Amino acid sequence: MRTSTEPPAAARQRQSPEPPHLKPRPVAPRAASRDRLAAGAFLTPAVVLVSVVLLAPFGSTIYRSFFDDHRHSTFTGLDNYRLFFTDDALLRSAENTLLWVAGTVVLPFALGMLIACLTDATRWSRLARLCVIIPYALSGAAVAVVWNFVLSSDGALNQALSAVGLGSLSHSWLLDWPGNTLVIICVNAWQATGVAVILILVGLQSVPPETLEAASLDGAGPWQRFRFVVLPQLRPVSIIVIGMSLANGLKSFDLLWVLTRGGPGRATETLAVSMYEETFLLQRPGAGSAIAVVLTVIVLAASWLYLRRQFGEKGA
Amino acid sequence: MKTFGTAGKDVRPGPTRRRFLAGLGAGVSGPALAGCARGSSTAAVAGTASFGNDNGSWDEGYALASKALRPLTGYSLRPLSVPEAIAYKQVTQMTLQTSRASDMIKWGAGYELKQLARGGQLTDLSGLWDAYRDKGWVRDSQRDTMQYRGAVYGIPLYESYYVVFYSRPVFARLGLRVPGSWEELLHCATVLKRHGVTPFVSTQFGGWPAYEWFQELLSKVDPDFYAALGEGKARYTDEPARRAMDIWHDFIRKGWMTPPDYDQGNGAAGLRDGRVGMFLHATWHTKNLSGADMRPLKDYDAFILPTVAKSTKKSVITESSALAVPRSATSHEAGMASAGAWLHPNVQRAWTDYLQDGSANPVVRSGNPVVAGLRQNITKERRTRLIRYGEAGPPSLIQGNVEDISGFMTGQTSPQATLRSMAERADEEWRMWRQDEA
Repeated sequence: MRTSTEPPAAARQRQSPEPPHLKPRPVAPRAASRDRLAAGAFLTPAVVLVSVVLLAPFGSTIYRSFFDDHRHSTFTGLDNYRLFFTDDALLRSAENTLLWVAGTVVLPFALGMLIACLTDATRWSRLARLCVIIPYALSGAAVAVVWNFVLSSDGALNQALSAVGLGSLSHSWLLDWPGNTLVIICVNAWQATGVAVILILVGLQSVPPETLEAASLDGAGPWQRFRFVVLPQLRPVSIIVIGMSLANGLKSFDLLWVLTRGGPGRATETLAVSMYEETFLLQRPGAGSAIAVVLTVIVLAASWLYLRRQFGEKGA
Repeated sequence: MKTFGTAGKDVRPGPTRRRFLAGLGAGVSGPALAGCARGSSTAAVAGTASFGNDNGSWDEGYALASKALRPLTGYSLRPLSVPEAIAYKQVTQMTLQTSRASDMIKWGAGYELKQLARGGQLTDLSGLWDAYRDKGWVRDSQRDTMQYRGAVYGIPLYESYYVVFYSRPVFARLGLRVPGSWEELLHCATVLKRHGVTPFVSTQFGGWPAYEWFQELLSKVDPDFYAALGEGKARYTDEPARRAMDIWHDFIRKGWMTPPDYDQGNGAAGLRDGRVGMFLHATWHTKNLSGADMRPLKDYDAFILPTVAKSTKKSVITESSALAVPRSATSHEAGMASAGAWLHPNVQRAWTDYLQDGSANPVVRSGNPVVAGLRQNITKERRTRLIRYGEAGPPSLIQGNVEDISGFMTGQTSPQATLRSMAERADEEWRMWRQDEA
């Protein structure tokens, strides 16, 4: 109960008088400019680095995409971009990229959520998590070599099927479209699920137990607790997992390149592989540049739209 | 307690963290930038010639050749290997733009070499070639694959032939003999298949192997047509090409070919264990066969695929990488000296004994009796030497067509559709090539 009749502000001032040496001093113009110079000096390396290794090559790529691929190239306007409507290989590549985006967003997230929820707070959770996370520590090229051994026509999978009397299910896993693309997406999910599990587990461990207890007291069953209590609290983590998967799906290259080199023919190419194929193998840098520009625009636009929407809604 | 920002004016400040970091940054970035700018691996090393190549597994062979080269030139070889062929091409094309290219580079013959030569990045080796020719160490027919506009830009690194390897014990067990005609070849395949052995290795795994059967069948249907195709003077939709593709399609339908994703790396073991009967490949494969404990003439032998019709002119597909000297070589003199002595018999004996393959020098006999026998057959039968398909056209045409052939092998496209697609690409790519030449 307050007993003093003094106004609160005056009382606060007397109780905690500000020491004279902590009073803000007017900043001298010389010191301010020195600070700005120091800030500029610290920023410059990063700005120069980004400009030299990212922005300048990107600008050069955009420029190159407007020229043809003759020995002495000439300006051809949007001809290289028209390939997206006329070249069958690029159309197939765009289809595959869409499949990859869908597959790499849905599978790692769904599997990651399932594994994280099943292994959270169980006795054998550490071992289970380790098993799932180990593939993430492997390089894409190593994963591709191992899976090629498994999936080739005379590979381990078909041999295993034959050994258990299921030879009729043997299949040319990497040869027929769209099956080969879907199989490679599954291989990618096998590797990428580990990181989703880690992130979702972190999210699960940050869910306050009181909220779950309160839901239990209100009579909520396990599914209801997950659906209405846990899942909404995992939203920030989910945004990160899906955002990362989206970008990874759009720029997928290493696994695909080592496993099939975009083949047979050009059946399993994604836009990232097509960009490499056109530029370095078919020696059409103009066409390759156009694909690079389109791919960059798609990755940036998709990431920006997704993150803006997600974080915008959260803030609202 | 000492706090930041309280030092008196009369106290001289010691070295701060910022200064330390700035000094460290300058110290590290200076040498790093210098290193990036100059490229240390291709820098001149006294008494050596750097040799850019795409096959690190041959380093031992280069070392043996180097021992033989040094007394002749005063330089030893310093191999700079990039193990992946596509990466090697990119790295080499980039370093050729700098002043620090390797002293010698391994490159594809034919149009691969022409494309590099027309950019003005290679040294004219016509003088070296003439000297070799005067000594009888090269054949005139080899010159075609190494020249551009009359000047020579490459020295052949080796000479391989595309032949069919087979297992002697398996053939003996099944009562088969080396096929001398097309009918006998079909008989061998039929018998092998009947005994559960896949008759032929055929794959598109790895990209380029897709064209091995294409070039072989085409040249055995009509070698002149194959040569004309390589000059852009024939169409892929012409009768000989259709015939070759029909034969191949028939082989696939009969189950005579391995799956299109068969790993050729398993071919040697497959041949040894009797899982595959015949393996069409280049003679440099003998080294892999030795690695699978197969001895020449005892465990394996090889023959050149018979012609489809008896009256067809006999031919053999050859392969030889080119050894070129970049104009911007760090030690140009070392590169020229080494290229000028590469075909010396002493060097070639050391090199081909390691490689177990044929020498580009016709005087040098291969240490491998199978390869030596094949070469004898080629000379005796006066077989026309044809360049392999990979170097028989503008690189972008070949790359695109190899992908079409892959599509055919996996059943994505019919023989006719495949040839139509190849023909359309050929029209466009040859037009571009000639336009660029003009």
